[in-house]
Parts: sequence; C-alpha cells; structure tokens
Amino acid sequence: MGFRLRLAFFFVITLALVQALTASLVYEVTRRELIAQGERQLTESAATFVHQLDDVSGRVADSVQVLSLDFALRAAIAQHDRSTIISALRNHGRRVGAERMLLIDLDRKVEADTSDPTADGKAFPFSDLIDKALQRPSAGVEAVNGSAYWVIVVPVLAPVPIGFIAAAIPIDTPLLARMQRSSGGPKAIELVSTVDQNHWAVIARGTDAVPVATKLLEANGLRDRPAMVEVDGRDFLALAVRLDESDKAASIAAVLCYSLNDALRPYRPVVLAWAVLLTLGLVVGLGGALLIARGVSRPIEMLAATARRIGAGDYRASAPLSRQDEIGELSVAFATMAQAIGEREERILFQADHDIATGLANRFAAEAAISLALGRETTGALLALGLTRLPEIVKTMGHDLSDRVMRHAAEIVQKVAGVGSVARIGDTTLSVWLSGVERTHAITMAFTMLDALREPYREADLAIDIAPAVGIALHPQHGSSASLLVQHAEVALFAASGSEDPVAVYDPATDPHRPERLSLMGDLLHAIERDHLRLHYQPKVNLKTRKIDAVEGLVRWTHATRGMVPPDAFIGLAEETGNIRKLTRWALATGAAQGREWASRGWTMKVAVNVSARDLADADLPRRVDELLAVHGLPPHKLMLEITESAVMGEPDAAIRVLKTLADRGIDLAIDDFGVGQSSFAYLRRLPVRELKIDQTFIRKLGNDAEDRTIVASIVELGHRLGYRVTAEGVEDSGAFDYLAEVGCDHAQGYYIAKALAPQDFDRFVGGARWPVARTEEAA
Amino acid sequence: MRVRVPLAGLLALACVSAARAEDLTVHIADDGGHPVADSVITLIPQNPANGPAAQPKPETRVIDQKDETFIPYVQIVRPGDPIVFRNSDDTRHHVYSFAKIKAFEFVLAPGESSVPMQIAAPGIAVVGCNIHDNMINYLFVSDAPYLAQTRAEGSVTFANLSAGTYALHIWHPQLHPGTPEIVQSVTMAGSGPAQTINATLALLPDPRQRMDHEHMRY
Repeated sequence: MGFRLRLAFFFVITLALVQALTASLVYEVTRRELIAQGERQLTESAATFVHQLDDVSGRVADSVQVLSLDFALRAAIAQHDRSTIISALRNHGRRVGAERMLLIDLDRKVEADTSDPTADGKAFPFSDLIDKALQRPSAGVEAVNGSAYWVIVVPVLAPVPIGFIAAAIPIDTPLLARMQRSSGGPKAIELVSTVDQNHWAVIARGTDAVPVATKLLEANGLRDRPAMVEVDGRDFLALAVRLDESDKAASIAAVLCYSLNDALRPYRPVVLAWAVLLTLGLVVGLGGALLIARGVSRPIEMLAATARRIGAGDYRASAPLSRQDEIGELSVAFATMAQAIGEREERILFQADHDIATGLANRFAAEAAISLALGRETTGALLALGLTRLPEIVKTMGHDLSDRVMRHAAEIVQKVAGVGSVARIGDTTLSVWLSGVERTHAITMAFTMLDALREPYREADLAIDIAPAVGIALHPQHGSSASLLVQHAEVALFAASGSEDPVAVYDPATDPHRPERLSLMGDLLHAIERDHLRLHYQPKVNLKTRKIDAVEGLVRWTHATRGMVPPDAFIGLAEETGNIRKLTRWALATGAAQGREWASRGWTMKVAVNVSARDLADADLPRRVDELLAVHGLPPHKLMLEITESAVMGEPDAAIRVLKTLADRGIDLAIDDFGVGQSSFAYLRRLPVRELKIDQTFIRKLGNDAEDRTIVASIVELGHRLGYRVTAEGVEDSGAFDYLAEVGCDHAQGYYIAKALAPQDFDRFVGGARWPVARTEEAA
Repeated sequence: MRVRVPLAGLLALACVSAARAEDLTVHIADDGGHPVADSVITLIPQNPANGPAAQPKPETRVIDQKDETFIPYVQIVRPGDPIVFRNSDDTRHHVYSFAKIKAFEFVLAPGESSVPMQIAAPGIAVVGCNIHDNMINYLFVSDAPYLAQTRAEGSVTFANLSAGTYALHIWHPQLHPGTPEIVQSVTMAGSGPAQTINATLALLPDPRQRMDHEHMRY
C-alpha cells in the first residue's frame, strides 16, 4: 500500500473512530439522560395521576353527596319507599356516571341495589368506606368481579345519618379518556387488576397505552421504581402505581409508560445531521488526506527519481525543491550529495586513470586508449621506455626526486612523440603509443627519444643519468590486444635493459615469459621424478697435457611432446620458481654417479655441475653433497661446482658460508662466466674459489681480436698470479685454442673440442683418440 | 371508626355521696373530661307510685331558628305539648322531620312561626332544615316521670326522690348510631345522702358543625 493510501486510510479511520466514539458517547449520555428524565416524568405523572384521581373522586363524591341531600330521596329513604328509592338512585346514578348505586342502612346492610335486586339484606363489603363516610364522603378504588370501580360512600342525613348511599363508578377506558380530556392526564396508561398471584389483567387503557403493564408487573411485581420494558423491540420505561388500599388482596394498579424511542425521536434529525456531517467529513478528510499525501509523496517520488539518476551516474542534480519543510531540506541535501558524489567520482575516475605522482595516464588508461586506437588503426607500435636506474634513485634520493625524474622524462618523451600519448605503465616504465607506425619508424622514434634523454636530469647541483631503454611491441604482429602489446613491450624492454642495445623489438622466440612456461615447470618436476632428464658432458681439455681430465655436466631435456627443450627455456624458469634445487640435486647425483663410473675405469675425470644462487641459499647443500659423494664413493676433489658471480651477489654472506663449507670438504669451486659481471678481483678474493671460467664472449673472436687477446692474456696471468686455475669457454676454432695454450690457460672447453655429449657418445668420442682421456696411472 | 360505649366505666364511677338523702345528681362528661350539655337524663321509678306528685301542665315548646341554628339543640317535649317552630332569621327555613313518631314539614318565611303541632307518641324526632344542612334539632318526646336535660355544666339534679329503685336512661344526640340505650339501675335510700352519678360518653362531633370547609369558599 502506497504512502498516500496509508495516510488517507489513517485519516479516515481516525475520523470515523472519533466520530463513532463521540456518537456512542452522546447516544449513551442522551439515553441515560432521557431515562432519568423519563423516570422523573413517570414519577411525576404517576403522582399527578393519583392526585387527579383523588381530585375527580372528590368531585364525584361531592356530587353524590349533593344527590344524597335530595329531599325527596331522603323522604323516600326515611319512609322506606323502596321503588322510589331505586328509581331515584338510578336517576342520580346517571347524573354522576355511576354504574351501580346502593343504599345501605346504618347496620351496614344493603337496603337497595340498582343492579342486583337479590342483594338486599347482604352486608356491604366495603365497610371501611362507611367508617370514613361518617366523617365525610369517602371514596376508594375497588376491584369488583375483575373490574375497577370507584366506590363512593356518602351518608344520608335527615339531618342525622339514616343510611348511606354507595355509588360505584367504573374506572375504565372511557373514564381515562374523560380524565385525559378534562385535565390532561397521562395518555400512555393502563389500569390492571390482579387475576391471581402474579397475574394481572388489563382493565382500562389510555389512548396511547402500550401493552407494557402485564410484562412489567409479571417481571417486577408492584414496585415504586420505574423499570425498563421492551415491547416489539421498542424500549419503554414503565412505572406501576397501586391505586387501592394496600392491605387488600386484589389490587388495582395504574401502569404509566414512557417511550424512550419517542423521547429519542427529537434527536433523529440530529443523528441525521451528524451522519451527513460525518459523511461530508470523511469525504473532505479523504480528499484532504490524499492531497496532503500527494504533497508529501510527489516530492518524495521526485527525490527517488533523482536518487535513481544519481545511482545511474547522472550527477546533474535537479534543482532543489523550493519548499521550507523537511522535504525541502532533504532535496537540498540530495543536490549537495549528488554534487559531492560527482566531484568525488571525477577525482576517483581521474585517479583510476592517472598516476598520482606524475599525473600521467596509468596503465589502465593507456590500455583503454590503445584499445580504442586498435579499433581504428591497422598498424601501430607501443614503445615501453624503461628508466632502469629509477629504483636506484629511489633508494638514494627518495621517491620525490624519482617522481620528478619520471615527470621530466615523460615531458621529453611527449615532446618527441608529438601526437603519441604518454602513460606510466609501471614503476619505472613509460609507454608511448604510436598509431599507424611500422617497425622502422618505431625504432627510429625510439632512438630519437633515447637521444633526447641522453642529457642527464639536472636539479640544483644534481645531475642524474636516466639511462633509459626502449622495448617495442608492434601491432598487429605482436598482439591484437592492448594488454598483450603492453606485456610484450615490457618483455622487449626487459631484453633491451639487459643488453647493450638499448632498443629491442619484441621477439616471440626469445620471450621467456610465454605462458607455456608454467606448464613447463610441472613437466620439469615430472621429468625429474621420472628421470627423463639427461646429463650431457662437455669435455674440458688440459692445455698442458692435451688430455681430457674434466667435464661440465649440462642438463638436456627431451620433452615428450615438445621434443628438445633448450636449457635457457627452463633453467631460468626453474630458478625463478625454486625448482632449481631439485634440478641441481638431480644433476649432482647423476654427475657423481657418472664420475664414479669413470673413476672405476681408471679415468681421471673431474665432473663439474652448475649451481645457482638459490642453491647457495640452501644451508643444507654441503650435507647433501657429502651424502652424494658418500653414496657414490667419489672423492671430493673429483667434483667441481660452477657458480656465476651473480649467484653470490644476492646474499653474499650466506652464500660465502656455504661455499666455504664445501671448499673445506675439498670440493672444487669455479666462477662461471667470469669477466662480464660486476665483480672485481677484490671481491673474488673473499670466495674460496679455485678456478675462473672466462666468459665465451671474450673467447669467440680470440683468433683475430687483439683486444680480446689482451684481456684473456691478462686474466690468465692475473688468475695464475692469484692462485686460480683458468678455463676458457666457447673455444670454437684452433686459433683460439692455440692462443690459449700459448698464454698458459689451463683448460679449454668449446665446440672446437666437442659439444656436450651423452655418456655413450662421450665414450665413443674419447675412443676417437684425438683427445685422450687422462688416466690414473698416468697422473700418478 | 372508634365507637366507645364506656358502660362499665359509667357503672364503676357510680357512688353514693354524702349530700341530701332524697337528691340524685347526674354528671355527664365526654371522654375529654369536658361537661356535656344537651344530654337527656330519664329516671323511671320501678314503682310507679314513686313518680312526681303532680303531672306537669302542657307547655308550648318554641323552637327558634336564629343564625341558621335551631335553638335549643335538644328540646324535651311532653306528649301533647304544642310545638312551634319560629323563624327569627331573615332567610327561609324548610323545617322537616321524617321521624316515625311524627313526620312534618314547614316552610317558614323570615319571621314566620309554624302552627303549633303536637306529638302524641314518645320518641325522638330529628328535625332538620332542607335548606341549611347544618341545622339539626332533636325533639325528645317522653312521658317519663323524671326527665331533665343537662346544661352547659353537664349536671342534672333530681330532688326529693322517694326511696326505691329507678332506671336511669342517658341519651345524647351525638351518641354513635346503633349504640345500645344507656340504662342504669339506681337505688335511692330515700333518706340517705344525696347520690351523684358520673357518666362519661363517647360522642360524635357535633353534626351542626359538619360543614365541609375543605370544599367551601364561603
């Protein structure tokens, strides 16, 4: 039920209830008042009626008295002239309305009776009336044969009493009518007489009599209190008054009645008027309630509509209602709220789309913009510009400066890119989308940007080299979606950051972050458990003896479905995911077993296994190596662990502790890829390393590059002086081989000698006799 | 209505006084103790020889009517006495009686007197006026030897009574109708002390005052 209806109902019901209550109250009060009034009126009427009756009876008695003084009558009585007496009595009886006249002698015996000739000599039944008649005319109401009579007795004086005349005047309906006419007696009156105990018969009625008497008397008896009687569904107040002497068995009573319905009749117009007023009031109240409710609900509905609009994101709040009431205030509050929400949402939207520090669009915004552009353009390039030194700047100078550097770079890039939009897509990365641009143009643009950023960022007495790199992803070659392009540009940027060329275009072939990597890891673990990996051995030739006395174990994985998986594709991944430890364990075990087998053939063969940074973080590594050596019965010096410089860089102290423990066991340690990292000799001195492996980048062109020759010669010399053995990797031609032998390098390793070989191939290879195997007896 | 005939009281009160031997005094009072006038006392000797020495001579009894009242109220009449009704008022009077001993009727103009009338038989004739209901007169006709009527002091004295037994009758117009005749036997010693008899009568109100003033405005 709507608010309007409820309010209207409330009004109407309240009004109706109040009216009903008032009406019932008024009705009850009026009724009571009328009853009280009726009781008073009845009591008064009864008294009046009795008085009237007395009055009339007195007058009738006087008339009878006058008749009794008629001389002729008295003469007839005195002379006992019976027929004269009867006729005179009849005559006089007619005059006073008597139905029956009697002459009674002084002995109270009937001497003559106008209606009953046989009554002579009988005792007159109402002797008390005679007693009274000696003083004055007496009258009483008497019941005779079920009829009521006034019996009036007067003495016959001649001049002293010589007898009595009794007149019986019927108290009947005509009498009541006469009384009513002459003196305004009650109309609603009934006279009753007892039939027997508690039964009453009506003997006379007034003109307006209602048959209440028998009902009243049979219910209540003769009481002098008014009582309620219901006749034909109408309420009457009735009062019975006894008319005769109270000590007589048969009694005559007058029952007066008062009609409540008649008394209420004058109020009927009032009731009608009240009902009309109530109806009018209800109609007006209903209308008013609906109007008021509309006045309330309309603006509320408008506010609800406004709220729905705000919910839908329309903050152009409608103008506040010009009302002075609570709803007006509410609408003002709504308008204010809508405005505030709008402003906040704008801010949130801005923040959602922008980087707070620089105010540039963020990755989401960039991707959204690129997505739009992709819909329009057939080609395009996304340039990811990485400020690789930024983390360093944050650590040394704080975020503020770093943000300023970022902003500076963004400004310059924006300037260079022109129409291209610049966004910040990572902590250290800006992106520039160039629509309709091909590969060449993109690379050119990248270099233009790098040129513009070559100038260091200056601030006060500070000059910061930004050292940027650019990765490029091209549309549609490298991705059809914005997020893919961003991802691939970042991959390219990562490649660029690690290489000498500061600009790199995404190459799907080298992308180490392809999704298949994850499944690859699962397969790798599976392969380790099922022993599907193979350890291949690349021989190292001792340049002095020209014999093979060491190998480097390299993991080879032939995937069940993909075939050969290059080590680069899973080693790095295994390092990232932590699976490298299992891989290393497997390699160590396999290498140790192979070393043992070779040793059993009498070969002097040192087996080298690569160990990663993660392995060095494992304090358990020395113990496990011990176990392996014990299991395979391999002496510690037959095992070599190759570690890259970077493996030690992470947590140097922990790594160094592990390395020292291993070295203390007599295990050989070698630094791999020496020469391309950040490490210095001073740092190297802290490591318990016995061998350096010069990185292949220095070796490959060793045959004809004078610079590399110098470097390699210097490393060899310096290494030897510091007590390290030196091994060269990536020896691919005889020139390099010879040169290394010339400068005194200890071992050479590379395709010139052999690639990494499976154990059986290795056997065949050493059987070839070009590079003999060092044997125990020889060494001894 | 209370009807009291204190006959026992009357007897009880009878006593012999120390007065003169031959005299008898009868004193009548009402039940309020007031002396009662107009009571007729009749004394009849058992022995007719004890009667008075001489019979009274016939005497004309004049019943006057003055101020609508018969005067006297009670008139003792000897049989044969001429009775005359005299109207001394300036209104007419219609004098009547339906008495068994004598029914008569006179319409008397103011100042007029009736022709003399005689009543032969003893008895009581109640006389009224048909015009004025409150006018009542009693003619007490008796040939008894001793007959007297009380006056205002309520006493009658019979003197020189011979010794012997007498029947004493007391009558009063206001005795209740139907009351038995009051008769008492009195014995006179002849020479003894005078006797006094006190009698108390229960009387009706004086009917002459029976005017219903409640219904009258005059």
